[in-house]
Amino acid sequence: MSTKLAKATTRFSETEIDDEVVVMSLESGDFFSLTGTAQAIWTLIDGTRTRAALLTELAAQFDVEESALAGDLDAFLAQLEAAGLLEAD
Amino acid sequence: MRSPAQIMQLMARETRPRPGGVPRTLGGLPIPDNARRFAGGQFVLRTGTGYAFHYMPGEGVAVERSAGADPAEDELWRFGSVYAAIACLNGLYPLHASAVAWQGQVHAFTGPSGAGKSTLVAGLGQRGLPLFCDDTLLLSFDDPARIVALPGHKRLKLTDGALGLSGAQAISPVGSDTGKSYAAPPSGDIRQPCELASLSFLEQGDLAELEPVTGAERFALLEDDHYTQALYLEAQSPSHAALFALRARLARKLAMARLTRPFSGDGFAKSVDLAETAIRTFALGD
Repeated sequence: MSTKLAKATTRFSETEIDDEVVVMSLESGDFFSLTGTAQAIWTLIDGTRTRAALLTELAAQFDVEESALAGDLDAFLAQLEAAGLLEAD
Repeated sequence: MRSPAQIMQLMARETRPRPGGVPRTLGGLPIPDNARRFAGGQFVLRTGTGYAFHYMPGEGVAVERSAGADPAEDELWRFGSVYAAIACLNGLYPLHASAVAWQGQVHAFTGPSGAGKSTLVAGLGQRGLPLFCDDTLLLSFDDPARIVALPGHKRLKLTDGALGLSGAQAISPVGSDTGKSYAAPPSGDIRQPCELASLSFLEQGDLAELEPVTGAERFALLEDDHYTQALYLEAQSPSHAALFALRARLARKLAMARLTRPFSGDGFAKSVDLAETAIRTFALGD
């Protein structure tokens, strides 16, 4: 996947409360609480990074092998996509 | 930006009652008994117990009472749903909460009917904390720097059990088969708008305990389905984004806690202790 990942900024609102980022889908009204790795991934999705670049940066941030994070990253990206929070390729 | 004093004057003017006819339709739709409707900045409520109310901006509230209707019900509706509805139509946000004041700040307790909101603030009154409102708390977001609470009606409505628990003195029956009495707040009341500092959610449990509420749970608890929120949604039809912004502001600005306690004499005393601790802990800094 060489596409740069970007948030669908018109489709959500977000705010930071305590140590959590709360993101609400403007279409459904559902909200998600992001902490830990999910919060780090969300922060890194800024339109400049591909999935591979995200993985490299996350692995460095959490000081673990990329292979240990790949599954979590893909699962979270799939959730974001399903919720309509990522720009279409 | 409206000042708190201007908002107080506005609410005093807009909630003025007068005898008058209440339309059977609003916005082209009929309003049967036991129903309410917002349209065109107006509000009509028909109670099904012989009362009807019609709010029109600048005109106050027309009250229609049929023969045989219980006179005691008038204030129950006007100080409850009608009051909250008018607030919603005038840019305020109502919370289903009772509150006390301490050092110029307001500390509110919310929960469903029967959760013990009035009893708790009566108990806090016995500890020297004056009443700020009972049952409906109006909030103004006009000032971007603070959430301002407007003082509410000044009589507590307590059951006999609540009178016994809190030590408050009954003044007169509320009537209308509520089984409650009006009681004077033991430490008096506050009549000036004040900044809202904390919101505690009342729950029943085996043990009395106070837990801070953090992060996304604040959002979840603010979504609880109270009559005040239903009125706000009907009156304003806010977008998801607007509702999110409102809840985000409450969640970021206020200290929040969950106050769990059993409904017993010992449990009540302990819950007043915990509520008092919460208030002193949650006081906002300068």
